[in-house]
Amino acid sequence: MIYLVVLATLTSPEQIGTTPQSLLWLLPLVASIAIVYKATKLSTITTANFVKEVIVLFGSIIVFMLITALVLFVFAWLVTE
Amino acid sequence: MKHLKSNHFIFLIIVALMGWLIPGAGYFLLKEQKRAIIIFVTIILTFCLGIYVGSIGVVDPIGSKPWYYAQVLNTPAVMILGHITAGGSYPVYGRPNEVGQIYTSIAGLLNLLCIINAVYLAHVTDHNTEEVKFL
Repeated sequence: MIYLVVLATLTSPEQIGTTPQSLLWLLPLVASIAIVYKATKLSTITTANFVKEVIVLFGSIIVFMLITALVLFVFAWLVTE
Repeated sequence: MKHLKSNHFIFLIIVALMGWLIPGAGYFLLKEQKRAIIIFVTIILTFCLGIYVGSIGVVDPIGSKPWYYAQVLNTPAVMILGHITAGGSYPVYGRPNEVGQIYTSIAGLLNLLCIINAVYLAHVTDHNTEEVKFL
């Protein structure tokens, strides 16, 4: 409840432009998804094992998104050329 | 036997409700403290980051209902924020709105995943040996 009271004071948004850099906001979200997913899937959680698994999943998601972006870029380029 | 089954069912409901009230609390009931703490910290941080970026205006029960339903999955306390913002006093537009809504809603959906997983673990755990069977 206390944290909700603190959150309720956040009444004005941050400034984020529609720039390519704003896509970097996906990185913390991907990290959250990787952490929570691995926390639910690992049978025993040890620090080393957990960190390794999270980094592998985080990297896999980012690489897959980069490949997808590249494929879409090439497809758009082929269509518009 | 029937009594045992009914107790088990009530326990599953308690695990689900606790997981909804406080992210990760379902695992805490299953004595999975590490898992509970990791999930609590991650989901709360993700939700708070979304609110920080987009302000409480991203919790909008009138203008963006589908996002709101996902946000409420974080904890029922989000409904209090929804009540504050329902009058439209905190409008948010553009990229901050998108980022804020995505962060808060994904946090809610991640909590739903945790609730379902905690209920599953509670169901398949052999209480005689305390052995937990993972997927």
